[in-house]
Amino acid sequence: MDNLNADSPHTGHTAPVPEAAPSAAEIAPPVAAEAPPTSPASVDTGGSAPVAQEDAGGDTPRIVRTDEGAEDGLTKCARCGSTEISLNVASGNLRCGFCRFEWTAENALEAFDLNGDIGKLSGIVVGSGSSDIIPSVEEVLTFKCSACGAEVVIDTNNSTQARCHWCRNTLSMNQQVDNGAVPDMILPFTIEKASAVERIAKFVGKRKFFAHPEFKREFNPNNVMGVYLPYMVVDINAHGRFTGQGEHQTRSYTVKVGDKDQRRYDADRYNVMREFDIHVNDLTVESSSDRLDQDTSKNSNNIINTIMPFDIENSVRYDSNYLSGFTSERRDSNLDQLTPIAHTQAADVTRHRVNDTLKFYDRGVRWDSEEVDVRGQRWVSAYLPVWLYSYQQKKSGGKTFLHYVAVNGRTGETMGSVPVHQGKLLLVSGIVQLFGTVIGLVLVAVGV
Amino acid sequence: MINYTLMVAAGTEIFAAGSSDDDSGGLGLVFLLSGFAFYTVIYLRYRNVDKRHRHEAETEAVLLNLEEQDVFVASKKGLTNSRMSGANSTKVHGALRKFF
Repeated sequence: MDNLNADSPHTGHTAPVPEAAPSAAEIAPPVAAEAPPTSPASVDTGGSAPVAQEDAGGDTPRIVRTDEGAEDGLTKCARCGSTEISLNVASGNLRCGFCRFEWTAENALEAFDLNGDIGKLSGIVVGSGSSDIIPSVEEVLTFKCSACGAEVVIDTNNSTQARCHWCRNTLSMNQQVDNGAVPDMILPFTIEKASAVERIAKFVGKRKFFAHPEFKREFNPNNVMGVYLPYMVVDINAHGRFTGQGEHQTRSYTVKVGDKDQRRYDADRYNVMREFDIHVNDLTVESSSDRLDQDTSKNSNNIINTIMPFDIENSVRYDSNYLSGFTSERRDSNLDQLTPIAHTQAADVTRHRVNDTLKFYDRGVRWDSEEVDVRGQRWVSAYLPVWLYSYQQKKSGGKTFLHYVAVNGRTGETMGSVPVHQGKLLLVSGIVQLFGTVIGLVLVAVGV
Repeated sequence: MINYTLMVAAGTEIFAAGSSDDDSGGLGLVFLLSGFAFYTVIYLRYRNVDKRHRHEAETEAVLLNLEEQDVFVASKKGLTNSRMSGANSTKVHGALRKFF
């Protein structure tokens, strides 16, 4: 922070705190997508689409429609009319499988004005794809193919597309229903499968010696799958006030206690207060209950968590064609379930940023009070791209443990869990311990 | 079956021993726990159970309209610990990863 002096603490207030930000009613209505000609199909959703609200104060969310102009059914190439459309990972565009025509969806944050000034956020603003899931809404939806009239089923747990078994056209689901299957936006893959395979092979290759022999035998990085996982992206406008005490070391010296030397420290203690506004941008939280469970004794979901962050700002309007050739996982968590963890993480981000103003306190700061008042928040649901290699390890007693090696589909960041050959590791550790004990006893005996 | 948790706990003691105010015998203790340390390091390298998204540092955030107060209270002499007692400004409460 440029208005701080880290070397010499000073006293007194330096800047007035502004009043709470004005209402965020200026968020523009969503812009219709330039969709290629379509022949919409009818859909029986069993539920109703979220209703846009003009404004809402307090805890009532204001919903920004993010599926305006989106249509279910046959999404055709604007040039040749084919429905064989998929992502060209190399360019990040949608590409027609027949005529090779390429196009891209609009940037989602710009299209829906979801990247507006965080300082002007007040209350709760929610993308319509982040609305609460209504349990009665079916997860398996039936569409009528507008090309041949056949009924086609889409299991929204894994995809929002299906191929008509009669006429072979691809049907897409782009309108949002209240089951969490269609998010506000999607971040397309830019890391190609070959690159992901290479990264996974390299990661595991460095961990072969103590790897479980069955894993080594069965490991085949070509089995990696591209998965769009559901996340909530949150912007937060908050005001904070932290009070506590900090210590600055003034002297360090050695004293004799008996026949031993010991370190001693002198320090100055200060009462410390920081009051500020904070804008948190694109805080990203898993919105699948399975992925939120990151107990490392039961699963390796922390691996997928580790490969964040993503370049959220490059997300585009949701189009099911981006999912072609990939799988997806449906969001099953609502705002009320995700708000506590998002706010706790926002408080962590705040504490971390405030530390930049505390460099003078080289012995540390103890906060006695941390008040973070969230004045405005904006929630947008997103599918984010992950290359996932999974390995189901069979353990004694019929138990299994699912290991993941994950690659961020945008940045290429790679992390993984490789099953360990416990017997081999314990044996080598025992040998190390044996030698260590001998050397350690000698060193202790001579007082080193 | 050796309890992994106990091993890791033992491993962390190495570092505690290493940062002791009284350094005599510290290196010897490190060697006495070398097997546990080796197990812990290798296990973490393979399983990465300690890894997580560092949301506190990797999330974009801006601090604005900052007010500061730093009021001198007292000078302390002869403190035995190199860190302030109860310092908590680097604590993270929102980590989803449950490690142990």
